[in-house]
Amino acid sequence: MIQQYINSGILEAYVTGAASDQEVKELLYMKATYPEVNIALQELEKDMELIAQQMAVAPPEGTWDKISGSINELIIRENNDPEQFTGRDESNYKNFTQPGTGPQYIEVESENNYMKVHKAWKWVFAAVFVLGKIFLGCAIYFYLENRQAQLQLKELKTELRLLKK
Amino acid sequence: MKQQLTSTEASLPVLKQSKHSLYISYGALLLGYIKEVVKELALAEQYLTEVFNELKAQDIEEILKPGANAFLRLQQMARKKLSSFINTVENCNDQAEISAKKGITGNKFISLMNQEQQLVFCGIHYHGKNTAKLAEELNKPENTIRALLRESFIIIRNYRNDTAVH
Repeated sequence: MIQQYINSGILEAYVTGAASDQEVKELLYMKATYPEVNIALQELEKDMELIAQQMAVAPPEGTWDKISGSINELIIRENNDPEQFTGRDESNYKNFTQPGTGPQYIEVESENNYMKVHKAWKWVFAAVFVLGKIFLGCAIYFYLENRQAQLQLKELKTELRLLKK
Repeated sequence: MKQQLTSTEASLPVLKQSKHSLYISYGALLLGYIKEVVKELALAEQYLTEVFNELKAQDIEEILKPGANAFLRLQQMARKKLSSFINTVENCNDQAEISAKKGITGNKFISLMNQEQQLVFCGIHYHGKNTAKLAEELNKPENTIRALLRESFIIIRNYRNDTAVH
């Protein structure tokens, strides 16, 4: 009976993925129950590998890089996932301090063109700005006044010269 | 939550390592099979990449389970992935395609089979058809289809034994 089952072609259908779900269930039961079925199945698996070896084509260079690249992306995404810090676990902050509990970071001193200034300096800068405006206004005012005075003086000198003549 | 984080971080490099080991062992075999189906190396490579990219830790566990045949599992996944493509290509009923297969790969097994065996083997192996569908298409009982498939494998087995002797 077992030999009849083995010879029926169900095993071949199974290894080629052509068996129905019912047949697969039945076969797995037979495989577990009868060692002959298991041996026959292993032989067929070897046959399938033989077929594949005959047709084997070495993957082009860079194929693995494409596969590993997508895993690397996942690793990076996993490490940068903000979700990991949003949990309500109060001891979450410890992830940053306990080695091995959270993501490990390498400290890198970044190059920055900005400097930090104390907030108090805000009023000093504001005062300097206002005073600067006042001085500028005064300078313009006195310059114009001076120019006006110079013109008047010139006119007076001209009038005096004319009177003398 | 901390435990989850640690395991995820640890699993990705392990996953990468397992995939790499599977790729080294079976990449060429799978690519050969896929190329036979799609008939174009660039497209076959794309499918191979997709098969490996979609492998999850759970799949790898299944593949590497004691008693399981890793190559067959991977081939089943590739076949599933190719199913939409397979539906768009011509059937093995076309004698020209069978001849082409012999020509492309020098597939010795197919050339040793008779026409009926070729139709069944090609339909199941390259076109992912199940026995019921093929029986309907060829207007033959399912038992006959299984018998023809078995005969095809006997031819392959004989070839294997012959080459092992020599």
